Amino acid sequence: MNVWKKLTSLAVLVPLGIALSACGGSGDEGNDGGEGSGADGAGTLTVWAWDPAFNIYAMDEAAKIYQQENPDVTVEVVETPWDDLQTKLTTLAQSQEFEELPDIFLMQNNAFQKNVINYPDLFSDYSDSEVDFSEFPAGVVAYSTFEDVNYGVPFDNGTAITALRTDVLEEAGYTVEDFTDITWDEFIANGEDILAKTGQPLLSGQAGSSDLMMMMLQSAGASLFDAEGNPTIVDNEALKEAIDIYARLVDSGVFVEVNSWDEYIGTLVNSNVAGTIQGVWILGSIQTAEDQAGNWGITNLPKMEGLDGATHYSANGGSSWAISSNADVELAQDFLASTFAGSSELYDTILPSSGALANWLPAGESDVYGEPQEFFGDEAIFSKVLEFAAEVPSNNTGAYYYEGRDAVSAALTQILDGADVDTALAEAQSNVEFAMS
Amino acid sequence: MSQTTSTARRRRGPTEEQEPGSARAGRNRRFGLEKQRSLTGWIFLLPAALLILWMNFWPMLQAFILSMKTGRGTRLEFAEPLWFNYERLLNDEIFKLTVGNTLLYLLVQVPIMLVLALVLANLLNDPKLRFRGLWRTAIFLPCAVSLVSYSLVFRTMFANDGFVNDLLLGLGFVDAPINWLGETDTARFVIILGLLWRWTGYNMVFYLAALQNIDYSSLEAARIDGAGSFKTFWYVTIPQLRPMILLTAIMSTNGTIQLFDESWNLTQGGPAYTSMTMSHYLFELSFQKNPNFGYGAAISYVILIMVAILAAIQLKVGDKRD
Amino acid sequence: MTRSQLRKVPGYAFLTVAAIVSVFPLYFMVVSATNTSNDVLDSRLLPGTALFDNLGSLLGQQDVVSAMWYSTIQAVGTTVLALFVCSIAGYGFEVFHSKGKDRLMAFLLLAMMIPFAAIMIPLFQMFADYGMVNSSLAVILPAISTPFLVLLFRQAARTFPHEIVEAARLDGLSEVNIYLRIFLPTMRSTLAAAAVITFMTAWNNFLWPKVILVNNNYQTMPMLISNLRAGYVTDYGVLMLAVLLASLPTMIIFLVLQRAFAEGITGAIK
Repeated sequence: MNVWKKLTSLAVLVPLGIALSACGGSGDEGNDGGEGSGADGAGTLTVWAWDPAFNIYAMDEAAKIYQQENPDVTVEVVETPWDDLQTKLTTLAQSQEFEELPDIFLMQNNAFQKNVINYPDLFSDYSDSEVDFSEFPAGVVAYSTFEDVNYGVPFDNGTAITALRTDVLEEAGYTVEDFTDITWDEFIANGEDILAKTGQPLLSGQAGSSDLMMMMLQSAGASLFDAEGNPTIVDNEALKEAIDIYARLVDSGVFVEVNSWDEYIGTLVNSNVAGTIQGVWILGSIQTAEDQAGNWGITNLPKMEGLDGATHYSANGGSSWAISSNADVELAQDFLASTFAGSSELYDTILPSSGALANWLPAGESDVYGEPQEFFGDEAIFSKVLEFAAEVPSNNTGAYYYEGRDAVSAALTQILDGADVDTALAEAQSNVEFAMS
Repeated sequence: MSQTTSTARRRRGPTEEQEPGSARAGRNRRFGLEKQRSLTGWIFLLPAALLILWMNFWPMLQAFILSMKTGRGTRLEFAEPLWFNYERLLNDEIFKLTVGNTLLYLLVQVPIMLVLALVLANLLNDPKLRFRGLWRTAIFLPCAVSLVSYSLVFRTMFANDGFVNDLLLGLGFVDAPINWLGETDTARFVIILGLLWRWTGYNMVFYLAALQNIDYSSLEAARIDGAGSFKTFWYVTIPQLRPMILLTAIMSTNGTIQLFDESWNLTQGGPAYTSMTMSHYLFELSFQKNPNFGYGAAISYVILIMVAILAAIQLKVGDKRD
Repeated sequence: MTRSQLRKVPGYAFLTVAAIVSVFPLYFMVVSATNTSNDVLDSRLLPGTALFDNLGSLLGQQDVVSAMWYSTIQAVGTTVLALFVCSIAGYGFEVFHSKGKDRLMAFLLLAMMIPFAAIMIPLFQMFADYGMVNSSLAVILPAISTPFLVLLFRQAARTFPHEIVEAARLDGLSEVNIYLRIFLPTMRSTLAAAAVITFMTAWNNFLWPKVILVNNNYQTMPMLISNLRAGYVTDYGVLMLAVLLASLPTMIIFLVLQRAFAEGITGAIK
């Protein structure tokens, strides 16, 4: 009997011991979605964001600025990759475990509608906040607005740019001017010429990723969905044109496909390609290649000729700060209103070092935007991007943006393998409709 | 014995049952001892059994209920009809594709792996072999690496400008780098290769262990009868290994049908879903797209049923040859 | 060379190829951990000098010590509890054998067929109800009792002579004492085999910790590695170093216990 007692106590104590010593979190630390008192400006804000060189850096800088006025507020950023962040949000919402949410989390603009519609309980809205949403571009605010309620403060600007290696262009006898205000036909012709002369492709991208095509679509104000959110993949002239251009880019060797995002970044920093077309945030990664300083220039996008509404401007990515339903709402709102939606100082700090281009319009009046950037051949590239930003056509994303995008990616892969365009797109459309049913 | 005990228990009724310590007649005392022993036995099983019920069967039951619900996010309601999600599967082209992918991995990888493992185990079982420990350690070592780790090592090696392409280009086998993970056939090939690399040694250890228990005299007898080493292997060794082959076949089938990590970490299911497994699709439907948990749960039941059917078939085939 | 030696050449050749193929990716991992990212992508196969730079930048980016700590606690906790719970069950099934227990075993074996992705959501919901999100115990509990381990111990107990149990009973030893003092000590190699398998599985567990450890401050090594490549730029040297660090404990455990491991598996399948 004695041994039994020992055994049972062992069976109870061992897990208990582990629980006490190791599981940091169940009770006390679990509620890091701080319930600290916000009224007197003290407390802790927990934040989920994903890029140490970009949005986490920006958040840390924002914290420093806020702490000048509110020394008792601490901001703790937990690095959480986007895929992981989405999984966590879904899990927590599905199990109604809102206490585990941080105060503030960053969300991809393209995923905002989906999350607000499916899990409204995750969010606190901004209706009582000091944030003036008219100080942001309407098209950007729309991503995080649902039924006229604001759920996000726009952070970075996804305005698309064409970034080019000026040294490679020069070798082939080109300048950035030759790529400004051109059409895709001209772009491909130039690209083939440069490839022949220098052996360098102009562009790279993940195989099976539809990023570039989506940018083309938006540049013509087109989308995969209509205003009601119904898929318009079939009989979509802009989409067909974009697929045709993409296929020609790949076939001519001007665009080289790689396996993963890492490899895509690798082609840029290792000088395997002479340029890229991407959201302006890519500049942060490009600038990590210090040996290429002074050899980059930027310009606008090629235009899809012959389409109504075609422009040289588009966007990719971009994200917004959401306040969770578990937050110290008052403090979080005050924090965001006085930093990302109210501090030129913040944007002046983060812009040159990380390329975090503001959506907050008053920041654009700052002198920093007009300063020449050494890395980009002493050109004032950021004021240029601001000009682009104002021209970006808006498009419809809707809750099923990712389903649509993935279906089109799959169709694109099939088409490049030789499938009939209309058949592949019809299949993509029915897959999206199926997912929505 | 315990059957007697349980009959006796049933006859005695509940009042006596509640006083196990009370004095009893001699005949009853013996039964009492049996009963107590059987009870001790049950208590020994209790923690394990309860944990499995609690951590596996109970959630599975809830998943079954979930599989009869529809709706996105938390707005779930019972479907009309209840089997709606299962019906939906029949029209899901992507699901059918992932079933095909998973079965392809199963049919190609499992037989190759088991044969390789058998051959390696048989070679290593030779008592006159030199450096046995070294070979065994080398071949088993991949199992010590986690799925995430090896997936990342393979990704790095099979990158466009990675080691494998550099090697092939250097040897002149190809003119241009192969986009291993970007093409359907090569992506599937890399997954299968990864699975073979990670798991062959694991199965080999099981065969090696089974070989230790083989009746050595039967091998000697075969040799004296003049059978070559292949014939001995085929007619004497293999039949004795059958139970172990069956066990490893069932375990591997099980693991492959539920495959998730490789699809997730190595190829991310691409290109165009052509290397995605069923479990990965289920994960994507539940966590990454507009969450459809009811539908995801229905897929999980299909996976469960497939595993059960395949295990039953293997058991049947395994038994027949006896 | 004699004829019989000649006949062995294909065998040795095959083993050599198998061993090289098995070890090469590991070699690549070790070597790459000492090289810069660019050298890794240039397929440099010789040790480099960047090991300490990589280590510095890894420690600067991620809290490796904390991840190692959580991984260790969870893997050790799972292993200790699993060995106890499953060995006592395996013993119970065999020594107190009965039809009812056989039926229970057959039923429990069905749990092997349950895909983890299927029970993840209900399981998460359950632990959330217990207030155990972010808790190491929530990672450990589902991994303690596995039908495979129970089966392994039941098979091993089959070789344990019944007469010893009877004799011990006559000596007045309690059932628990028989298990603890007589059965367990004879099961050393089975315990080693079970420990190796359980520790490896627990250490390498990825999907469930990823779900239940909501706060990334509590992340384990596999989660840390997976997150390393999620930034905008991956440093392959640093990544391979992290992968190496994450693989070391399981490899060391295997190398130390490998003899007992092989014996344990052998003993269990007689």
